[in-house]
Amino acid sequence: MAILELNNVKKSFGSGHMKVDALKETNFSAEPGELIAVIGPSGSGKSTFLTVAGGLQTPTSGAILVNNKDLADLNEKQRSKIRLKEIGFILQASNLVPFLNVDNQMKLLDNVKKDNMSKEELNALYDNLGIKELRKKYPADLSGGERQRVAIAKALYSKPSILLADEPTASLDSEKAYEVMELLKKETTQNKTTTIVVTHDTRLIEYCDKVYEMTDGVLKLKETSKKSQAIL
Amino acid sequence: MFLAWNEIKKNKLRFALIVGVLMLVSYLVFFLSGLATGLASLNREAVDKWDATAIVLTEESDKSLPQSSLTTEEADNIKDNDTATLGQLNSIARNGDAKQNIALFGIDSEEFIMPKVTEGEKFAGDNEVIASDTLKEDGFKLGDELELSSTDEKLTIVGFTDSARFNAAPVLYGDVTTFQKVKFGEGAAENETQINGIVVRGDDFSSISTSNEDLEVIEVEEFIENLPGYTEQALTLNFMIYFLFGISSVIVAIFLYVLTVQKISMFGVMKAQGISNGYLSRSVIAQTFLLAFIGVVVGFALTLISGEFLPSAVPVAFDIPTMIIYGVILIVVAILGAVFSVLTIVKIDPLKAIGG
Ligand SMILES: Nc1ncnc2c1ncn2[C@@H]1O[C@H](COP(=O)(O)OP(=O)(O)O)[C@@H](O)[C@H]1O
Ligand SMILES: [Mg+2]
Repeated sequence: MAILELNNVKKSFGSGHMKVDALKETNFSAEPGELIAVIGPSGSGKSTFLTVAGGLQTPTSGAILVNNKDLADLNEKQRSKIRLKEIGFILQASNLVPFLNVDNQMKLLDNVKKDNMSKEELNALYDNLGIKELRKKYPADLSGGERQRVAIAKALYSKPSILLADEPTASLDSEKAYEVMELLKKETTQNKTTTIVVTHDTRLIEYCDKVYEMTDGVLKLKETSKKSQAIL
Repeated sequence: MFLAWNEIKKNKLRFALIVGVLMLVSYLVFFLSGLATGLASLNREAVDKWDATAIVLTEESDKSLPQSSLTTEEADNIKDNDTATLGQLNSIARNGDAKQNIALFGIDSEEFIMPKVTEGEKFAGDNEVIASDTLKEDGFKLGDELELSSTDEKLTIVGFTDSARFNAAPVLYGDVTTFQKVKFGEGAAENETQINGIVVRGDDFSSISTSNEDLEVIEVEEFIENLPGYTEQALTLNFMIYFLFGISSVIVAIFLYVLTVQKISMFGVMKAQGISNGYLSRSVIAQTFLLAFIGVVVGFALTLISGEFLPSAVPVAFDIPTMIIYGVILIVVAILGAVFSVLTIVKIDPLKAIGG
């Protein structure tokens, strides 16, 4: 059963001859445990797709079902609740709170939501991400790559059923980028999370179960796992 | 509180500045309130000490004690209530070295406005007076012979009493005959029933009346408000205090707003994550409360400490309950200032903030 479904979703900005169809009529669905890549050139509509799917902006038309709940039926407060409970975001820019150390970034989530990772799970996650020594550090004292790994830890900590990552490896060197993808792969299969990774780094798609390509607002399934490996 | 407190811990200097500003504003508010209380008691403490309900003056005196003139017999026209006759004049007293503005009260030692002597004795004969103990600081002492500016009569201080200032002048309490000798000189005998007013103590104001049409029964509080300068002083200081409430609200609003604007993208990220407006707003309010509370408490302590070091000529008197009320108002007003920031947070679009 699909955890995330987009039915005839369109998103356009502006009106008249200024109108931009950032996302043309899109149908999409994702199953639990799938790691999906969305590739495509800059400005093709990848971020729009991700934020519409994650309930951060409302589509111009069409329905988005998260766990079979239509986001269109919900107000902003309820959508915010869905994001908190079901969806984890990893963004290109650092999304850490500057005045909280790494441990407190996680603790903040304990303040607003139940059923986050246990201590043991968190320790294992820190280990996997190689950020165990950074627990007491503040974002300003971390390198770009470290910050990104903490952001990933934060997104995973709340055990989301859908993980949306917008170019999560952009600020990492390629070795670290592979590690991060490997980790996302592991978490995705372990926790039956649905992970959608937007990237323009085509080398990363070998980790993914499905690869979609976005061109001018049109989303097309490009490869499934075996084929993509055959290409490489 | 989690966010609020962690942010304060991480940005100590920034928040110390806000606390500092709030502390200075509350210091000023507390000090002005101390000054207001001090100036008020300078005017009214002798009247407060009567513990009276009303005062009867002539209609034409327009609520001014020195301008009122009536006779002791009028007391018989006031039924069912305790009365005390009062003569009053202002003069300047000298003991040779020191001189001071004084108010002379001519009273009947058997009646209720007779003050308690804190040092020395009661006045027994003519020309003996009990003096306000503030006169001691002005260089007067027991046994001093006082020359008055308006008469040849000399008065002797036989005792002191506390809380005895009337319209900013220390009071000398003497017998009615002493008062009349000072006031009328040679004509004292003919004027032996002449006084200025009758002070009445009763259960409630409405039960007090007089059968003489030319007299007016004035509630004590109203009488005080009509003392020269009293209402003007009180209004001036209270206006300053109210302005400070407004100013501190605006200061806090500006400070917090600037801080909030700097953090828009951070709030946006948290909102994208699904952290509710409610949680973020409560956090800002909690933070404001903490800052205002600390500022007000430090300002309060500072006021009391500097009050200890002030020369006694400065008329400050700290009325703790009033100060606590003002402190609470300052905190509430600061929190009102945070409302702007809350509105800003609610309006943040998480999408714009994360710059998708
Ligand atoms: N808020 C917006 N207002 C107007 N146009 C937008 C907005 N967001 C995105 N667009 C436009 O939509 C198109 C797709 O943008 P985006 O989804 O950010 O692409 P990508 O992430 O693939 O680089 C672009 O042409 C962009 O200019
Ligand atoms: Mg993008």
